[in-house]
Amino acid sequence: MSMEKEPVSGRTIHPVKYYRDFLAQNVRPDGRSLQTFRPVSINVGSIKTAEGSAIVKIGNTTVVCGIKAELAKPKAEEPNFGYLVPNVELPPLCSPKFRPGPPSDQAQVSSNFIAETLTNSRCIDLRDLCIVSEHLAWVLHCDLICLDHDGSLLDACVIALVAALRTVELPHVLYDAEAEKTVVSAEKRSKLKVHSEPVATTYTIFDDEILLTDPTNEEESLSSGIMTVVVQGDKLCSVHKPGGSPLTDAQLQECINGAMKRAEHINKLINTALKSHET
Amino acid sequence: MAGMHLLSDQGLRLDGRRANELRQIRCKLGVFSQPDGSAYLEQGNTKVLAAVYGPHEIRGSRTKSLHDKALVNCQYSMATFSTGERKRRPRGDRKSQEMSMHLRQALQAAIRVEVYPRSQIDIFVEVLQADGGNYCACVNAATLAIMDAGIPMKEYMVACTASLGNGDVPLVDISHLEENSGGPNLTVAALPLSGQVALMEMSQRFHLDHLPKVVECALQGCRDIHQILDQAVRRHIEVSGAVGWGIRPQVKL
Repeated sequence: MSMEKEPVSGRTIHPVKYYRDFLAQNVRPDGRSLQTFRPVSINVGSIKTAEGSAIVKIGNTTVVCGIKAELAKPKAEEPNFGYLVPNVELPPLCSPKFRPGPPSDQAQVSSNFIAETLTNSRCIDLRDLCIVSEHLAWVLHCDLICLDHDGSLLDACVIALVAALRTVELPHVLYDAEAEKTVVSAEKRSKLKVHSEPVATTYTIFDDEILLTDPTNEEESLSSGIMTVVVQGDKLCSVHKPGGSPLTDAQLQECINGAMKRAEHINKLINTALKSHET
Repeated sequence: MAGMHLLSDQGLRLDGRRANELRQIRCKLGVFSQPDGSAYLEQGNTKVLAAVYGPHEIRGSRTKSLHDKALVNCQYSMATFSTGERKRRPRGDRKSQEMSMHLRQALQAAIRVEVYPRSQIDIFVEVLQADGGNYCACVNAATLAIMDAGIPMKEYMVACTASLGNGDVPLVDISHLEENSGGPNLTVAALPLSGQVALMEMSQRFHLDHLPKVVECALQGCRDIHQILDQAVRRHIEVSGAVGWGIRPQVKL
């Protein structure tokens, strides 16, 4: 185990009081202040069987994204558009609260959130994925697997997805409409155009009042509310607040500002990771 | 006969190895914070993660609890992007269920289950990149994860594959290309020090006269892998365990 097993203490018997004592001193049990983010590390292109891949670690939270490309016929009502299919998997190995079986509620909600973030941010233009109108288009299956769930899952998923999309290289395809033959030349590859880079940031509300940035799994389970803000560049893309304690106007603005600052830092990190992958 | 071209005239295989060379093994213990024990193992291009939860109370039906042993529960899962063609069902298909069962059978032979009656040990294995020898990498990674969780075992459970090249030269640790070339595949999971075999599986066919040397080749592969895994475990304990005991690790900060 990477952490030593702690003896039975206030943390296990009365976790809320344990956290309250720390927060009264404006610090969290892992040493961070209430607004500090955990260190982020990104690695791209490590899975050779996938067309694009990225592994992201935010503190202990680890998410791996693999993108596989397939060919398919476009929908009849959208003949110029390809498909982008995200899927978030929360396997039982990432946390003791997930059991083997069909996808849990949280996995489905996360998958939906990622799908909406992709459409809202217009990060990939689906027309770029179309090869021949009405006949052939690319389907990009984006599979995000959480390997270690320690809070801020959606943040890690969005970062991993954007980093992986920027490494995707699609082979050239020649389609003969009359003979209905498809020739894929795997050697000639062209990079996928990523138009914008959305970045998500998660906040939680503890005891209805205290705002915590980038919560760990323990903090998320003790909190009374959670919110995720997605920004791209200097624009606000979406805010996801599924119920929980109400927030004041000022707190909301504080969160959005914090998310904007973090987005700059994350984008620089992704660019560094991609540059070192290309060399 | 199939398998004719696996060994070139100079005695080199398709990826440049000799007949008795293993692929490069890289492993790390304690990679995740949530599970009780975890490990990451790379065998050539095959990348596998293992996580162990337990021993804990039996979840689900209490009727499954054994009065004198722990219940070992394994799940084998492949990431959808792990193979050349996208895998539609990461788990639940017949091949994964068969692999889960084989994993459980092999590991049950090594874990000292009589120490934890009426409880359950969960072992989850995730294949991130599959390039042949998936089962072996999973068994090896699971062994490391069980070690990391502190669950007692009789011995390391190590698995290795072997094949026959050019009709009579045993090859150890076969890759995906060599698996699909049509030559025989022998998988062995064994306790390396005592030489006891827990699981043996073979496909395709070859003459009975060749069997002893192919099995011996796989067992030697197991012994070699055992040395590598043992070194990794000792290194991990030195670096991480020493901190808790008050001994300063020799690392310059």
